[in-house]
Amino acid sequence: DEQYDVVVMGTGLTECILSGLLSIEGKKVLHMDRNDYYGGESASLNLTQLFKKFRDGETPAAALGKDRDYNVDLIPKFMMANGELVKILTHTDVTRYLEFKQIAGSYVYRDGTIAKVPATEMEAVRSPLMGLFEKRRAKKFFEFVQNYKADDPATHQGMDINCTPMSEIYKYFGLEPGTIDFIGHALALHLEDSYLNRPAKETFDRITLYMSSMARWGKSPYLYPLYGLGELPQGFARLSAIYGGTYMLDKKVDEIVYENGKVVGVRSGDEVICDPSCAPEKVHKTDRVIRAICLLKGPIPNTDNVDSFQLIIPQNQVKRKNDIYIAGVSASHNVCEKNHYLAIVSTVVETENPQEEIQPGLALLGPIVDKFVQVVDICEPIADGKSDQVFISKSYDATSHFETVCDDVKDLYKRITGNDLVLKQRQTQEEEQKEMADQ
Amino acid sequence: MHFLLKFLITGDSGTGKSCLLHQFVENKFKEGATHTIGVEFGSRIVTIGKNQVKLQIWDTAGQERFRSVTRSYYRGAAGALLVYDISNRNSFTSIAKWIADARKLAGADIALMLVGNKLDLEDREVSYLEASRFAQENEMTFLETSALTGEGVEETFLKCGRAILTKIETGQVDPERPGSGI
Repeated sequence: DEQYDVVVMGTGLTECILSGLLSIEGKKVLHMDRNDYYGGESASLNLTQLFKKFRDGETPAAALGKDRDYNVDLIPKFMMANGELVKILTHTDVTRYLEFKQIAGSYVYRDGTIAKVPATEMEAVRSPLMGLFEKRRAKKFFEFVQNYKADDPATHQGMDINCTPMSEIYKYFGLEPGTIDFIGHALALHLEDSYLNRPAKETFDRITLYMSSMARWGKSPYLYPLYGLGELPQGFARLSAIYGGTYMLDKKVDEIVYENGKVVGVRSGDEVICDPSCAPEKVHKTDRVIRAICLLKGPIPNTDNVDSFQLIIPQNQVKRKNDIYIAGVSASHNVCEKNHYLAIVSTVVETENPQEEIQPGLALLGPIVDKFVQVVDICEPIADGKSDQVFISKSYDATSHFETVCDDVKDLYKRITGNDLVLKQRQTQEEEQKEMADQ
Repeated sequence: MHFLLKFLITGDSGTGKSCLLHQFVENKFKEGATHTIGVEFGSRIVTIGKNQVKLQIWDTAGQERFRSVTRSYYRGAAGALLVYDISNRNSFTSIAKWIADARKLAGADIALMLVGNKLDLEDREVSYLEASRFAQENEMTFLETSALTGEGVEETFLKCGRAILTKIETGQVDPERPGSGI
């Protein structure tokens, strides 16, 4: 009965950011979800929703506490303090709907023990991660990264990072395998080692992002929204609604109807944006990821009793191809009842027995009260959507942050509108209020 | 003392929530309004007793139309106005669901106020007595308003503000607690 420019299916973060951005630009957006809650795969669930998803029919134990105290993330991701998502949040002023807290520490598993990723120069000096001479070599390497300017050959020491592979740079500085693991996996956050043979620029950018994020607030490079990651899609959904977007939850749409290869409407929209689960025949699987959501009674051992952390087990340490990640948050982030902690152990699946693959991670957690495991397909669209006007987002991948999500948002935006995404600064809440008062 | 109180408005679509808000903030009726677009919140400073109170009232942004209000909308609200249309019985029946949502999502301490809007209309379907009893049973204050003429609007917001200040004075609500909406 109403005409829309864009129909969006699934209220995951990627879809909600796009709805918000397109609504601001004056597009009429209809946004639906099959669930009666926001967020899709990037939702945070209360106990009832969590049990319904993983163990339908079973009731949560009374000892777990109140339903409403829980906001359990399905995907283990944090926001890089200096990353793209923070930029989008501040430009759209969606920050007005949210409160953030820092993740207290970043850790890395090395030779059977857990070590803190140094957050300050002091911590770096004291860190057991490298010997004294290795620290000097590493210092030279980091200075090189920091001072490298593309347009100033004097800073290049004869290497062009656009073509020199990362392995050559490590060799040049004489870094030990353990240090290379640390830099590539704990700082550049590569999930596996294929980066070594690629030009160094990519890794330089990642190290710079990590360092600048760390420098912003100290402690760790990560921020986290109170009440869980599910607050992020909800914030962008409200932004879209403020600019006229129409929202329908609990709306089952069976299939997208195509006519002569073009979409003819879930209702009557010119364009459809959806997540991979809404168009299974138009995506292909790139990976499988296992995620074990663990409910704990205390902080995990050997992490200074922090209320939140990231712990990386680099693949070499446990003879794998892909790193194992552990993301931990707790009651101080309003995601579970007092005295409880949540940790998600995850990795890219390499064998027929993924449960076995995450054992090294689970073993570091201490006693586990309960565990919810899912193995999910990571999918991406086969086509760019231009011919059928169905624009499909990618699944949330195994990386520990939202940088690839933002890349996907930008890529979809360009495919849909034909233009590059240029973020405009929206008025802040204070400015809006002042303007209202002046009228 | 100066206070900033966060309020929200819920209730079925078409009950005149945005118009109430507009009337309170601007002292005039909003013409030609259909569904809500572009209203985040309205705010006004009022004097309650010896206190200067800034009431910041958040609108649903139209997400109530298909019962798709975000959970985060409710966070940190000190009070909520639950609005129905006195000429539309269904909108009154829905109030029970809106109460449950507010208590569950905003917190048990939230000050709730039942508002019967469109007092200017002739074809009343919900009597004052019935709504007043319902409000009493559910521990809410109750008022009827007309966003068109402005009748009862000022009083509604002042009453809700007063109820919250009383809760603070009697120690029922701690303004220092994060998420208390104060």
